[in-house]
Amino acid sequence: MSNPARRTNPGYGRWTPFWFLAPAVVALFLIGIYPTLFALVTSLRQYNLTRSRDGFPFVGLANYQAVLSDPTFWDTLARTARFFLVVMPVEIALGLCVALLLHRPGLNFLRALARVTLVIPLATTYAVVGLLGRLVFNRDFGVANSFINLFGFPALDWLGNSAGAFAAICVMDVWQWTPFCALIFLSGLSMVPVEIEEAAKLETTSHWALLTHVQLPYLLPGFTAMLILRSADVLKLFDVVFTMTRGGPGAATELISIYIQRVGFRVFDLGTASAQALLLLVITILLARLYIRFFYREIE
Amino acid sequence: MASRSNGRILHGFGLLAVFAVAIFPVYWMVSSSFKTQTDLLASPPVWLFTPTLGNYAEVFADQKVTSAVVNSLIVAVFSTALAVVLGTPAAFALARYDFRGKSDLWFWFISNRFISPIALALPIYILAQGLGLLDTHLVLILVYITFILPIVVWICTDQFRSIPKELEEAARLEGASQFDIFWRIYLPLGLPGIAVSAIFGFIFSWNELLYALVLTRRDVQTAPVVATSFMSGYELPWGKIMATGTVIVLPVTIFALLVSRHMVRGLTMGATK
Amino acid sequence: MKLVRNTVSAIAMIAAGAIASAVPASAAWDIAKAAAPYKGTQLNVIFLDRPGYRAIIKLLPEFEKQTGIKVNYEIVPYENTREKEVLNFNAKGDLSIALVDLVWIGEYAENGWIVPVDKFTADASITDPNLNLKGFFPLLLDAFGSWGGKTYGLPFDNYSGLLFYNKCMLKDAGFDKPPATWDELAKTYAPKLTNKDKKQYGYALQSLRGETQSADSFMRSLWPHGGSLLDKSFHSNLTSKESQAGLKFRQDLMQYMPPGVVSWDHAEAVNALAQNQVAMITEWSAFYSTLTDPKTSKLGDCLAVAPEPTGEAGRLPALGGFSLAVASQAPEKEQKAAWIFIQWATSEDIAKPYVEAGGVSGRMAVYDDPAIKATFKFVEPMVASWKKGVPEFRPRFPAWPAISEVVAEFGSKMMLGEVTTENGAKEIGTRMEAILQKEGYYDGKKALLQ
Repeated sequence: MSNPARRTNPGYGRWTPFWFLAPAVVALFLIGIYPTLFALVTSLRQYNLTRSRDGFPFVGLANYQAVLSDPTFWDTLARTARFFLVVMPVEIALGLCVALLLHRPGLNFLRALARVTLVIPLATTYAVVGLLGRLVFNRDFGVANSFINLFGFPALDWLGNSAGAFAAICVMDVWQWTPFCALIFLSGLSMVPVEIEEAAKLETTSHWALLTHVQLPYLLPGFTAMLILRSADVLKLFDVVFTMTRGGPGAATELISIYIQRVGFRVFDLGTASAQALLLLVITILLARLYIRFFYREIE
Repeated sequence: MASRSNGRILHGFGLLAVFAVAIFPVYWMVSSSFKTQTDLLASPPVWLFTPTLGNYAEVFADQKVTSAVVNSLIVAVFSTALAVVLGTPAAFALARYDFRGKSDLWFWFISNRFISPIALALPIYILAQGLGLLDTHLVLILVYITFILPIVVWICTDQFRSIPKELEEAARLEGASQFDIFWRIYLPLGLPGIAVSAIFGFIFSWNELLYALVLTRRDVQTAPVVATSFMSGYELPWGKIMATGTVIVLPVTIFALLVSRHMVRGLTMGATK
Repeated sequence: MKLVRNTVSAIAMIAAGAIASAVPASAAWDIAKAAAPYKGTQLNVIFLDRPGYRAIIKLLPEFEKQTGIKVNYEIVPYENTREKEVLNFNAKGDLSIALVDLVWIGEYAENGWIVPVDKFTADASITDPNLNLKGFFPLLLDAFGSWGGKTYGLPFDNYSGLLFYNKCMLKDAGFDKPPATWDELAKTYAPKLTNKDKKQYGYALQSLRGETQSADSFMRSLWPHGGSLLDKSFHSNLTSKESQAGLKFRQDLMQYMPPGVVSWDHAEAVNALAQNQVAMITEWSAFYSTLTDPKTSKLGDCLAVAPEPTGEAGRLPALGGFSLAVASQAPEKEQKAAWIFIQWATSEDIAKPYVEAGGVSGRMAVYDDPAIKATFKFVEPMVASWKKGVPEFRPRFPAWPAISEVVAEFGSKMMLGEVTTENGAKEIGTRMEAILQKEGYYDGKKALLQ
């Protein structure tokens, strides 16, 4: 970049980037543009499939108004935020611990074994995770209660009460996504040049100092990526919760996407559901921008 | 010295714990799939039991699960392959060239992953119905590209950026074209990143439920759709459900295990430079 | 033909399993001849993964052989059925037959997605002279198939709420007959049958959020106590004395139910009875086969079936079921072929093989058959339940799915103690009235039909 000669003659034509980019851009655009525009237009209409006899008149921003003044929308959004704030720190902390364990030299067989098994939760079908959750957290024949009995606690009716069900979906999410965080952290750790790490180890015996001074810069980009992907995923989280609790009992596990699905495909009020989904998209984009601004170096 | 060996024990213990926790739920699923209904509903749950193959016999008795696995395989392989073919050149351009609006373009790619399928399911359904694409592999493949491509672009851009520029300059002096550089240098050296993005692409499309529920009917029902179909609320044949779960999770897990050695090297997520 | 039919005894038929072969062709009506112009037509329909559908699938080859009409069924979980159908009808898709849950009939009829049967009955060439609409239980034909005085669908998969109970557990507690009233169930039976230390409970009411909560749990608590969802002017009746009594009754009864019924769907409730964990459940008639199957149930001879208990307002058991109706989006020829299929699937001739294959027919005549009565213990209480009942057990107007969501949310919150029955009723009331207002029920635009 500092080389002036390269600036004048980068070695490629003006249109070269275009040709490399065109296929992906065109494909995404062609597949995505119609549905996205359709959703945008739908969000401006009264669009209820079960009232198709009334037609689908334009109503301006009425759907957005309705969504913003709908207490359930805000409740479910707040619940989703709470879910994120519970699972994300746990996943980051556990993920980092796991990554450090895997990064530490020695015990090669165990390390390889543990690393390979990390892939299993990631690959497990979300819908199956939910079904599994229903089996594991069953009050009578669930294995979760066997474990807590082992530690001397009485059996819990996990899915039958609000706090238990919320905890149960958190546990399943942490199980499934901690490995993802761990792998990203691990690759960050392995980017630290060996000489620097060795030199630092000679100077300090404190793991904490090593982590914050030497390794942290290499972990931050992955950390941002994690935040962005997990935020987007939690806002879209549907399969696991739907198969596990359907958003119940009461509204204890009704996350925002469960609610939108309910409005969109149970009540069939697609005008409102589209408005909700687009608002959610805006929130996700804002969050992602925020993370990038604070943690990520912009792509040059 | 004592603290050293203590550390070693702790390290080993920690690794074992990681292994046990990561594998336990899946172990529970697999072992449940060999239980009879009576063993499954035993309270407290039983750990030792006489295994039965009855659940698998039931699962394979009708074609549904087998054909669902085949459908998922077709959709996942093709959507991932297409996304890689389309995404790697784009990632190359984003990693190597300077042009205006680059970071916005990069973000636009990523943001395609943010859209909730609930908003797009209906428009896509109507479009697919009009084009006669409902209940075909093609429609799922095309739709899945929209959320695999962002992952491919993201991971591969980061991976390509970690490749030293000197290699490229040497090639250029020998008269290599831009495409040669991409094809001969970046693709082979970026393989770990490409592999990781392919793994994630494969996992995501294998597991996708919402679009598949809406867009498929008889012929191309995918594995997750079939898995949820046993959960009719009417009967809960846990053994059969767990056997189906095992059958569905197995192929993708094996695939992921096979390529897992790339996993760490490829997930740089911008951690270079 | 007649001779063959007479020599084949009912028992031999079951043993042979060759059920369909015994369906007779009446002299005046030859289904093959009627179907000849539609030979090769493909019909598309959605089925559920339930006994009634498995039964008809077993019989289907015979129909296809006789008529040359092909029936393509797509098996969908109940939860997704309406979603699939509504999308299909809106996109002018390929479904030729609508599977209509009784609570969808208003919505489907008012949107013009299904065709009234009189369009077809007027055409003698495609109508079975023995169609005999009067042969259906009037309650079923009315509730499952009719809207605004017009008949659209014929009852196909039929349910009544029944009291399934464990005879042996009741006997051990000193009862030689099932409770006759809800009051008796709650005050006399349930306390004696509950032993929390042994994890044994008197009664369980499936209450998972969703249609299970709103239909099985919430509405079942209202009607017998004289309550209802709506008053005559379609405003909320949930704060009335009777409705509140019903909801409070359910709250009180919960002390004799297993903890966590709020997260129970049908499967869990049925299983709890099958595993001797609860003594009584109120469930759909169709669960009889699950409860008698030794693979899924420990009950054996302890299983007994009775009509649901009565309340102050009489016996008002849960009512549910599906009818089959011709979809108006289908081309004319396909509609006629669909009509031939629907008549066949719900005909009096097929009723017996259908019941024997695990289905529950909506025809009255078949239940007079002594062989059927003897084999299927649920028949008598079910027939008793269908003699009288409220078609609007759940309102069948188009607004129900939206209202059901509201009822399910606050109904389960009540059970969890997150809202009182009074406040919950008020919350449901305001939201429900807002929905009904939008539908136009309060400004005289729409007839007050439920």
